[in-house]
Amino acid sequence: MPHQCTNCGHTFADGSKEMLSGCPECGGNKFQFHPSEVPDDAPDDATEEPPERPDTGVPSAVGKAAATVRDLVRDDTPVSDDATSPDDETPQTADAPETAGGPSPGAPSADDGNRDPPDATPGQSTGTDSEPDDGGDDDAEDAAQASARSEMVTADDLPERPPSEGRVVKEPDADADEPDMEALREELNEQFESIKVLAPGQYELNLMELYDREEYIIALQENGRYVIEVPETFAGSERREE
Amino acid sequence: MGLFADLRDSISAVTAKLFAGESEDPKRIGIYGPPNAGKTTLANRIARDWTGDAVGPESHIPHETRRARRKENVEIERDGHTVSIDIVDTPGVTTKVDYEEFLDHDMEKDEAVRRSREATEGVAEAMHWLREDVDGVIYVLDSTTDPFTQVNTMLIGIIESRDLPVLILANKTDLEDSKVQRIRNAFPQHETIELSALEGENMDEVYDRIAEKFG
Repeated sequence: MPHQCTNCGHTFADGSKEMLSGCPECGGNKFQFHPSEVPDDAPDDATEEPPERPDTGVPSAVGKAAATVRDLVRDDTPVSDDATSPDDETPQTADAPETAGGPSPGAPSADDGNRDPPDATPGQSTGTDSEPDDGGDDDAEDAAQASARSEMVTADDLPERPPSEGRVVKEPDADADEPDMEALREELNEQFESIKVLAPGQYELNLMELYDREEYIIALQENGRYVIEVPETFAGSERREE
Repeated sequence: MGLFADLRDSISAVTAKLFAGESEDPKRIGIYGPPNAGKTTLANRIARDWTGDAVGPESHIPHETRRARRKENVEIERDGHTVSIDIVDTPGVTTKVDYEEFLDHDMEKDEAVRRSREATEGVAEAMHWLREDVDGVIYVLDSTTDPFTQVNTMLIGIIESRDLPVLILANKTDLEDSKVQRIRNAFPQHETIELSALEGENMDEVYDRIAEKFG
Protein backbone atom coordinates (compact mmCIF):
# COMPACT_ATOMS: atom_id res chain seq x y z
CA MET A 1 0.00 0.00 0.00
CA PRO A 2 1.48 3.31 -0.92
CA HIS A 3 0.02 6.60 0.15
CA GLN A 4 -3.61 7.26 0.74
CA CYS A 5 -5.50 10.50 1.16
CA THR A 6 -6.90 10.50 4.68
CA ASN A 7 -9.78 12.64 3.52
CA CYS A 8 -11.25 10.80 0.54
CA GLY A 9 -9.24 7.59 0.54
CA HIS A 10 -7.78 8.19 -2.89
CA THR A 11 -4.62 6.15 -3.21
CA PHE A 12 -1.42 7.06 -4.94
CA ALA A 13 1.15 4.91 -6.57
CA ASP A 14 4.35 4.75 -4.66
CA GLY A 15 6.22 7.96 -4.87
CA SER A 16 3.52 9.66 -6.86
CA LYS A 17 4.57 13.24 -7.35
CA GLU A 18 0.95 14.28 -7.55
CA MET A 19 0.70 13.92 -3.83
CA LEU A 20 3.08 16.78 -3.34
CA SER A 21 0.52 19.19 -4.71
CA GLY A 22 -2.42 17.77 -2.83
CA CYS A 23 -5.02 15.14 -3.55
CA PRO A 24 -6.41 15.55 -7.07
CA GLU A 25 -9.75 14.18 -5.90
CA CYS A 26 -10.53 16.28 -2.88
CA GLY A 27 -7.63 18.69 -2.50
CA GLY A 28 -6.70 17.14 0.82
CA ASN A 29 -3.12 17.34 1.94
CA LYS A 30 -2.95 14.65 4.56
CA PHE A 31 -1.78 11.28 3.39
CA GLN A 32 -1.03 8.16 5.21
CA PHE A 33 1.80 5.95 4.25
CA HIS A 34 2.09 2.22 4.52
CA PRO A 35 5.67 1.11 4.79
CA SER A 36 7.04 -1.25 2.23
CA GLU A 37 7.42 -4.20 4.56
CA VAL A 38 3.68 -4.72 4.85
CA PRO A 39 2.68 -5.33 1.26
CA ASP A 40 1.28 -8.73 2.12
CA ASP A 41 -1.00 -7.28 4.73
CA ALA A 42 -1.77 -4.27 2.67
CA PRO A 43 -5.28 -5.18 1.59
CA ASP A 44 -6.32 -5.77 5.19
CA ASP A 45 -4.49 -2.76 6.42
CA ALA A 46 -6.03 -0.71 3.71
CA THR A 47 -9.46 -1.33 5.06
CA GLU A 48 -8.52 -0.95 8.65
CA GLU A 49 -5.93 1.69 8.81
CA PRO A 50 -7.05 4.80 7.04
CA PRO A 51 -8.85 6.56 9.85
CA GLU A 52 -7.05 4.97 12.72
CA ARG A 53 -3.35 4.56 12.46
CA PRO A 54 -1.43 7.53 11.28
CA ASP A 55 1.41 6.24 13.42
CA THR A 56 3.71 4.84 10.84
CA GLY A 57 5.67 6.36 8.06
CA VAL A 58 6.62 9.78 7.00
CA PRO A 59 3.34 11.64 7.24
CA SER A 60 3.03 10.45 10.80
CA ALA A 61 6.57 11.59 11.38
CA VAL A 62 5.51 14.97 10.14
CA GLY A 63 2.54 14.66 12.41
CA LYS A 64 4.85 13.85 15.25
CA ALA A 65 6.94 16.82 14.37
CA ALA A 66 3.85 18.94 14.51
CA ALA A 67 2.99 17.39 17.85
CA THR A 68 6.49 18.09 19.06
CA VAL A 69 6.13 21.65 17.98
CA ARG A 70 2.80 21.78 19.72
CA ASP A 71 4.38 20.43 22.86
CA LEU A 72 7.13 22.94 22.60
CA VAL A 73 4.54 25.60 22.17
CA ARG A 74 2.80 24.34 25.20
CA ASP A 75 5.98 24.24 27.16
CA ASP A 76 7.12 27.42 25.66
CA THR A 77 5.45 29.80 27.99
CA PRO A 78 6.95 28.36 31.16
CA VAL A 79 10.23 27.65 29.41
CA SER A 80 10.60 31.11 28.08
CA ASP A 81 9.58 32.54 31.39
CA ASP A 82 12.12 30.36 33.07
CA ALA A 83 14.62 31.65 30.67
CA THR A 84 13.71 35.23 31.28
CA SER A 85 13.34 34.92 35.02
CA PRO A 86 15.61 32.07 35.75
CA ASP A 87 16.07 32.06 39.49
CA ASP A 88 13.60 33.69 41.75
CA GLU A 89 10.45 33.96 39.83
CA THR A 90 9.34 30.41 39.28
CA PRO A 91 6.08 30.93 41.16
CA GLN A 92 5.72 34.20 39.37
CA THR A 93 6.12 32.47 36.05
CA ALA A 94 3.12 30.43 37.00
CA ASP A 95 1.32 33.70 37.55
CA ALA A 96 2.63 35.28 34.47
CA PRO A 97 0.91 32.95 32.03
CA GLU A 98 -2.27 33.32 34.04
CA THR A 99 -2.24 37.04 33.82
CA ALA A 100 -1.14 36.77 30.28
CA GLY A 101 -3.98 34.35 29.83
CA GLY A 102 -6.40 37.06 30.89
CA PRO A 103 -5.92 39.46 28.00
CA SER A 104 -4.94 36.85 25.49
CA PRO A 105 -6.82 33.63 26.02
CA GLY A 106 -4.61 32.10 23.41
CA ALA A 107 -2.30 30.72 26.05
CA PRO A 108 -4.70 28.36 27.76
CA SER A 109 -6.24 27.34 24.50
CA ALA A 110 -2.81 26.56 23.18
CA ASP A 111 -2.45 24.37 26.22
CA ASP A 112 -5.53 22.53 25.09
CA GLY A 113 -3.57 21.69 22.03
CA ASN A 114 -6.47 22.40 19.72
CA ARG A 115 -4.92 25.35 18.06
CA ASP A 116 -2.62 25.43 15.13
CA PRO A 117 0.54 25.66 17.07
CA PRO A 118 2.87 27.40 14.65
CA ASP A 119 0.34 30.04 13.80
CA ALA A 120 -1.09 30.54 17.20
CA THR A 121 2.02 30.87 19.24
CA PRO A 122 4.02 33.48 17.44
CA GLY A 123 0.95 35.68 17.39
CA GLN A 124 0.29 34.87 20.95
CA SER A 125 3.80 35.43 22.14
CA THR A 126 4.11 38.69 20.32
CA GLY A 127 0.69 39.61 21.63
CA THR A 128 1.55 39.03 25.23
CA ASP A 129 4.95 40.51 24.90
CA SER A 130 3.96 43.49 22.90
CA GLU A 131 1.28 44.38 25.38
CA PRO A 132 3.69 45.49 28.08
CA ASP A 133 5.33 47.67 25.50
CA ASP A 134 2.00 49.12 24.54
CA GLY A 135 1.11 49.63 28.18
CA GLY A 136 -1.76 47.25 28.84
CA ASP A 137 -3.23 46.01 32.09
CA ASP A 138 -0.33 43.71 32.66
CA ASP A 139 1.97 46.60 32.32
CA ALA A 140 2.57 46.92 36.02
CA GLU A 141 3.65 43.38 36.56
CA ASP A 142 5.56 43.00 33.36
CA ALA A 143 7.22 46.32 33.85
CA ALA A 144 8.23 45.21 37.31
CA GLN A 145 9.66 42.06 35.92
CA ALA A 146 11.28 43.98 33.17
CA SER A 147 12.90 46.40 35.53
CA ALA A 148 14.02 43.56 37.75
CA ARG A 149 15.59 41.90 34.79
CA SER A 150 16.94 45.06 33.32
CA GLU A 151 19.23 45.34 36.29
CA MET A 152 20.91 42.16 35.28
CA VAL A 153 20.42 42.30 31.56
CA THR A 154 20.76 45.21 29.26
CA ALA A 155 17.59 46.95 28.28
CA ASP A 156 18.21 46.03 24.67
CA ASP A 157 17.45 42.48 25.55
CA LEU A 158 13.88 43.28 26.39
CA PRO A 159 12.66 44.13 22.91
CA GLU A 160 14.77 41.30 21.63
CA ARG A 161 13.03 38.80 23.76
CA PRO A 162 9.87 38.45 21.75
CA PRO A 163 11.71 37.54 18.60
CA SER A 164 13.90 35.18 20.55
CA GLU A 165 10.81 33.55 21.93
CA GLY A 166 9.50 33.34 18.42
CA ARG A 167 12.65 31.57 17.48
CA VAL A 168 12.28 29.13 20.26
CA VAL A 169 9.04 28.14 18.67
CA LYS A 170 10.32 28.15 15.17
CA GLU A 171 13.66 26.51 15.57
CA PRO A 172 12.40 23.11 16.56
CA ASP A 173 9.78 23.54 13.91
CA ALA A 174 12.42 24.02 11.27
CA ASP A 175 14.63 21.35 12.73
CA ALA A 176 11.79 18.91 12.80
CA ASP A 177 10.36 19.76 9.43
CA GLU A 178 13.36 19.88 7.19
CA PRO A 179 14.68 16.42 7.90
CA ASP A 180 11.18 15.10 7.51
CA MET A 181 10.76 16.72 4.14
CA GLU A 182 14.09 15.26 3.11
CA ALA A 183 13.08 11.91 4.46
CA LEU A 184 9.79 12.18 2.63
CA ARG A 185 11.55 12.91 -0.63
CA GLU A 186 13.96 10.06 -0.06
CA GLU A 187 11.09 7.76 0.66
CA LEU A 188 9.33 8.88 -2.47
CA ASN A 189 12.42 8.38 -4.55
CA GLU A 190 13.15 5.00 -3.08
CA GLN A 191 9.65 3.84 -3.75
CA PHE A 192 9.59 5.08 -7.27
CA GLU A 193 9.03 1.66 -8.66
CA SER A 194 7.19 0.94 -11.84
CA ILE A 195 4.98 -1.78 -10.51
CA LYS A 196 4.34 -2.73 -6.95
CA VAL A 197 2.94 -6.12 -6.10
CA LEU A 198 0.69 -5.61 -3.10
CA ALA A 199 -0.47 -9.19 -3.10
CA PRO A 200 -0.89 -11.83 -5.75
CA GLY A 201 -3.20 -10.29 -8.29
CA GLN A 202 -3.08 -6.83 -6.77
CA TYR A 203 -0.83 -4.27 -8.33
CA GLU A 204 -0.12 -0.60 -8.18
CA LEU A 205 1.37 0.99 -11.24
CA ASN A 206 3.46 4.09 -11.49
CA LEU A 207 2.51 5.18 -14.99
CA MET A 208 5.05 7.95 -15.20
CA GLU A 209 7.85 5.61 -14.25
CA LEU A 210 6.61 2.95 -16.66
CA TYR A 211 6.62 5.54 -19.38
CA ASP A 212 10.01 6.94 -18.43
CA ARG A 213 11.93 3.72 -18.13
CA GLU A 214 13.76 2.42 -21.11
CA GLU A 215 13.45 -1.17 -20.12
CA TYR A 216 10.39 -3.00 -21.20
CA ILE A 217 8.62 -5.00 -18.52
CA ILE A 218 7.36 -8.12 -20.18
CA ALA A 219 6.45 -10.48 -17.40
CA LEU A 220 5.53 -10.14 -13.77
CA GLN A 221 6.26 -12.59 -11.03
CA GLU A 222 4.36 -12.79 -7.82
CA ASN A 223 7.42 -12.36 -5.65
CA GLY A 224 7.59 -8.75 -6.69
CA ARG A 225 10.15 -9.30 -9.43
CA TYR A 226 9.57 -8.81 -13.05
CA VAL A 227 11.28 -9.80 -16.22
CA ILE A 228 12.47 -6.92 -18.26
CA GLU A 229 13.95 -6.49 -21.65
CA VAL A 230 16.84 -4.08 -21.70
CA PRO A 231 17.23 -2.15 -24.94
CA GLU A 232 20.84 -3.20 -25.43
CA THR A 233 19.90 -6.84 -25.24
CA PHE A 234 17.06 -6.72 -27.70
CA ALA A 235 19.09 -8.33 -30.42
CA GLY A 236 20.11 -11.27 -28.31
CA SER A 237 16.69 -11.59 -26.68
CA GLU A 238 18.41 -11.89 -23.34
CA ARG A 239 16.30 -11.72 -20.30
CA ARG A 240 17.26 -10.19 -17.10
CA GLU A 241 15.48 -10.26 -13.82
CA GLU A 242 15.38 -7.17 -11.80
CA MET B 1 7.98 -16.28 -28.29
CA GLY B 2 5.47 -14.31 -30.21
CA LEU B 3 6.09 -11.39 -27.96
CA PHE B 4 9.71 -11.19 -28.92
CA ALA B 5 8.81 -11.56 -32.52
CA ASP B 6 6.39 -8.66 -32.12
CA LEU B 7 9.06 -6.67 -30.40
CA ARG B 8 11.57 -7.31 -33.11
CA ASP B 9 8.99 -6.41 -35.69
CA SER B 10 8.28 -3.16 -34.00
CA ILE B 11 11.93 -2.38 -33.60
CA SER B 12 12.69 -3.23 -37.15
CA ALA B 13 9.73 -1.14 -38.20
CA VAL B 14 11.18 1.79 -36.30
CA THR B 15 14.66 1.34 -37.72
CA ALA B 16 13.23 0.88 -41.18
CA LYS B 17 11.37 4.10 -40.70
CA LEU B 18 14.55 5.82 -39.64
CA PHE B 19 16.41 4.78 -42.74
CA ALA B 20 13.65 4.87 -45.29
CA GLY B 21 12.07 8.14 -44.26
CA GLU B 22 8.61 8.44 -42.83
CA SER B 23 6.59 9.19 -45.90
CA GLU B 24 6.01 5.62 -47.01
CA ASP B 25 5.05 3.95 -43.79
CA PRO B 26 1.57 4.22 -42.38
CA LYS B 27 1.33 6.15 -39.16
CA ARG B 28 0.97 3.99 -36.12
CA ILE B 29 -2.00 5.24 -34.15
CA GLY B 30 -2.39 4.03 -30.59
CA ILE B 31 -5.87 3.78 -29.18
CA TYR B 32 -5.44 4.70 -25.55
CA GLY B 33 -7.71 5.32 -22.63
CA PRO B 34 -8.85 3.92 -19.29
CA PRO B 35 -10.28 0.41 -19.02
CA ASN B 36 -13.78 -0.12 -20.38
CA ALA B 37 -13.84 3.08 -22.39
CA GLY B 38 -14.59 1.16 -25.58
CA LYS B 39 -11.16 1.10 -27.16
CA THR B 40 -11.48 -2.37 -28.60
CA THR B 41 -15.01 -1.70 -29.78
CA LEU B 42 -13.69 1.33 -31.63
CA ALA B 43 -10.68 -0.54 -33.00
CA ASN B 44 -12.96 -3.30 -34.21
CA ARG B 45 -15.36 -0.77 -35.71
CA ILE B 46 -12.57 0.92 -37.64
CA ALA B 47 -10.99 -2.37 -38.70
CA ARG B 48 -14.29 -3.86 -39.79
CA ASP B 49 -15.30 -0.75 -41.67
CA TRP B 50 -12.10 -0.62 -43.68
CA THR B 51 -10.61 -4.09 -43.72
CA GLY B 52 -13.46 -6.45 -42.87
CA ASP B 53 -11.56 -7.99 -39.97
CA ALA B 54 -11.80 -7.43 -36.25
CA VAL B 55 -8.93 -6.56 -33.97
CA GLY B 56 -9.87 -8.49 -30.87
CA PRO B 57 -12.69 -9.61 -28.60
CA GLU B 58 -14.81 -6.99 -26.86
CA SER B 59 -16.14 -7.41 -23.39
CA HIS B 60 -17.81 -5.65 -20.50
CA ILE B 61 -15.19 -7.10 -18.21
CA PRO B 62 -12.44 -4.60 -17.57
CA HIS B 63 -9.02 -5.46 -18.95
CA GLU B 64 -10.35 -7.75 -21.63
CA THR B 65 -7.53 -6.45 -23.77
CA ARG B 66 -4.34 -7.35 -22.00
CA ARG B 67 -1.91 -7.20 -24.86
CA ALA B 68 -1.61 -4.49 -27.42
CA ARG B 69 -3.14 -5.66 -30.68
CA ARG B 70 -2.28 -4.21 -33.97
CA LYS B 71 -4.16 -3.99 -37.21
CA GLU B 72 -1.84 -2.86 -39.93
CA ASN B 73 -2.46 -0.93 -43.09
CA VAL B 74 -5.96 0.19 -42.40
CA GLU B 75 -6.72 2.39 -45.36
CA ILE B 76 -9.30 5.04 -44.70
CA GLU B 77 -10.67 6.84 -47.72
CA ARG B 78 -11.75 10.42 -47.30
CA ASP B 79 -12.54 12.92 -50.02
CA GLY B 80 -10.88 10.93 -52.76
CA HIS B 81 -7.59 10.31 -51.02
CA THR B 82 -6.51 7.46 -48.82
CA VAL B 83 -4.97 7.62 -45.39
CA SER B 84 -3.13 4.51 -44.31
CA ILE B 85 -2.69 3.84 -40.60
CA ASP B 86 -1.75 1.02 -38.31
CA ILE B 87 -4.19 0.75 -35.44
CA VAL B 88 -2.80 -0.35 -32.10
CA ASP B 89 -5.48 -1.29 -29.61
CA THR B 90 -3.92 -1.03 -26.17
CA PRO B 91 -4.93 -2.35 -22.76
CA GLY B 92 -6.79 0.13 -20.59
CA VAL B 93 -4.40 2.23 -18.60
CA THR B 94 -4.90 2.41 -14.88
CA THR B 95 -2.84 2.88 -11.74
CA LYS B 96 -4.36 -0.02 -9.88
CA VAL B 97 -5.24 -3.54 -10.89
CA ASP B 98 -6.99 -5.78 -8.41
CA TYR B 99 -8.08 -9.32 -9.14
CA GLU B 100 -11.09 -8.80 -6.89
CA GLU B 101 -12.78 -6.69 -9.50
CA PHE B 102 -12.83 -9.73 -11.76
CA LEU B 103 -14.48 -11.89 -9.15
CA ASP B 104 -17.75 -10.06 -9.80
CA HIS B 105 -17.69 -11.45 -13.32
CA ASP B 106 -18.06 -15.08 -12.34
CA MET B 107 -14.40 -15.80 -12.42
CA GLU B 108 -12.43 -18.15 -10.23
CA LYS B 109 -9.79 -16.59 -8.07
CA ASP B 110 -6.88 -18.19 -9.89
CA GLU B 111 -8.18 -16.99 -13.20
CA ALA B 112 -8.82 -13.53 -11.77
CA VAL B 113 -5.29 -13.32 -10.37
CA ARG B 114 -3.82 -14.41 -13.68
CA ARG B 115 -5.96 -11.92 -15.55
CA SER B 116 -4.90 -9.21 -13.15
CA ARG B 117 -1.23 -9.97 -13.73
CA GLU B 118 -1.69 -9.96 -17.46
CA ALA B 119 -3.57 -6.69 -17.31
CA THR B 120 -0.73 -5.14 -15.34
CA GLU B 121 1.78 -6.35 -17.88
CA GLY B 122 -0.50 -4.94 -20.54
CA VAL B 123 -0.49 -1.50 -18.96
CA ALA B 124 3.29 -1.62 -18.78
CA GLU B 125 3.36 -2.55 -22.42
CA ALA B 126 0.94 0.20 -23.38
CA MET B 127 3.03 2.79 -21.56
CA HIS B 128 6.18 1.51 -23.19
CA TRP B 129 4.60 1.68 -26.63
CA LEU B 130 3.47 5.20 -25.96
CA ARG B 131 7.09 6.08 -25.44
CA GLU B 132 8.60 4.09 -28.26
CA ASP B 133 6.22 3.16 -30.91
CA VAL B 134 3.28 5.43 -31.55
CA ASP B 135 2.96 8.28 -34.02
CA GLY B 136 -0.42 9.53 -32.91
CA VAL B 137 -3.06 8.82 -30.31
CA ILE B 138 -6.78 8.31 -30.34
CA TYR B 139 -7.76 8.81 -26.74
CA VAL B 140 -11.05 7.12 -25.95
CA LEU B 141 -13.13 8.13 -22.96
CA ASP B 142 -16.40 6.80 -21.67
CA SER B 143 -18.60 9.89 -21.77
CA THR B 144 -20.75 8.58 -18.93
CA THR B 145 -17.86 8.79 -16.47
CA ASP B 146 -15.90 11.62 -14.98
CA PRO B 147 -12.95 12.48 -17.22
CA PHE B 148 -11.07 14.30 -14.47
CA THR B 149 -8.95 11.41 -13.34
CA GLN B 150 -5.30 11.04 -12.51
CA VAL B 151 -4.80 8.57 -15.33
CA ASN B 152 -6.41 10.77 -17.98
CA THR B 153 -4.55 13.84 -16.86
CA MET B 154 -1.25 12.00 -16.78
CA LEU B 155 -1.67 10.31 -20.14
CA ILE B 156 -2.86 13.41 -21.92
CA GLY B 157 0.07 15.22 -20.33
CA ILE B 158 2.52 12.63 -21.62
CA ILE B 159 0.98 12.75 -25.08
CA GLU B 160 1.24 16.53 -25.09
CA SER B 161 4.82 16.40 -23.87
CA ARG B 162 5.68 14.17 -26.82
CA ASP B 163 3.86 16.49 -29.17
CA LEU B 164 1.88 13.60 -30.56
CA PRO B 165 -1.22 14.43 -32.56
CA VAL B 166 -4.22 13.39 -30.51
CA LEU B 167 -7.94 13.05 -31.02
CA ILE B 168 -10.17 12.70 -28.00
CA LEU B 169 -13.21 10.56 -28.56
CA ALA B 170 -16.19 10.82 -26.23
CA ASN B 171 -17.56 7.34 -26.57
CA LYS B 172 -20.81 5.72 -25.50
CA THR B 173 -23.09 8.54 -26.58
CA ASP B 174 -25.79 5.91 -26.99
CA LEU B 175 -26.07 5.75 -23.21
CA GLU B 176 -28.47 8.03 -21.41
CA ASP B 177 -26.06 9.60 -18.98
CA SER B 178 -23.49 10.41 -21.60
CA LYS B 179 -22.05 13.89 -21.02
CA VAL B 180 -19.81 14.88 -23.87
CA GLN B 181 -19.46 18.46 -22.74
CA ARG B 182 -17.81 17.31 -19.55
CA ILE B 183 -15.01 15.83 -21.65
CA ARG B 184 -14.75 18.95 -23.79
CA ASN B 185 -14.41 20.97 -20.62
CA ALA B 186 -11.78 18.64 -19.26
CA PHE B 187 -9.53 18.88 -22.30
CA PRO B 188 -10.42 22.13 -24.06
CA GLN B 189 -7.02 22.22 -25.73
CA HIS B 190 -7.88 19.18 -27.83
CA GLU B 191 -10.53 18.34 -30.33
CA THR B 192 -13.23 16.12 -28.87
CA ILE B 193 -15.49 14.07 -31.10
CA GLU B 194 -18.51 12.29 -29.76
CA LEU B 195 -19.45 8.86 -30.97
CA SER B 196 -20.91 5.54 -30.14
CA ALA B 197 -18.43 2.96 -31.36
CA LEU B 198 -20.88 0.25 -30.41
CA GLU B 199 -23.75 1.70 -32.46
CA GLY B 200 -21.55 3.21 -35.13
CA GLU B 201 -22.94 6.69 -34.47
CA ASN B 202 -21.00 9.65 -35.88
CA MET B 203 -18.27 7.44 -37.34
CA ASP B 204 -18.13 9.57 -40.47
CA GLU B 205 -16.92 12.53 -38.48
CA VAL B 206 -14.49 10.29 -36.63
CA TYR B 207 -12.97 9.15 -39.93
CA ASP B 208 -12.85 12.71 -41.23
CA ARG B 209 -10.91 13.81 -38.18
CA ILE B 210 -8.62 10.77 -38.25
CA ALA B 211 -7.76 11.53 -41.86
CA GLU B 212 -7.13 15.19 -41.06
CA LYS B 213 -5.11 14.53 -37.96
CA PHE B 214 -3.07 11.53 -38.95
CA GLY B 215 -3.09 11.65 -42.71
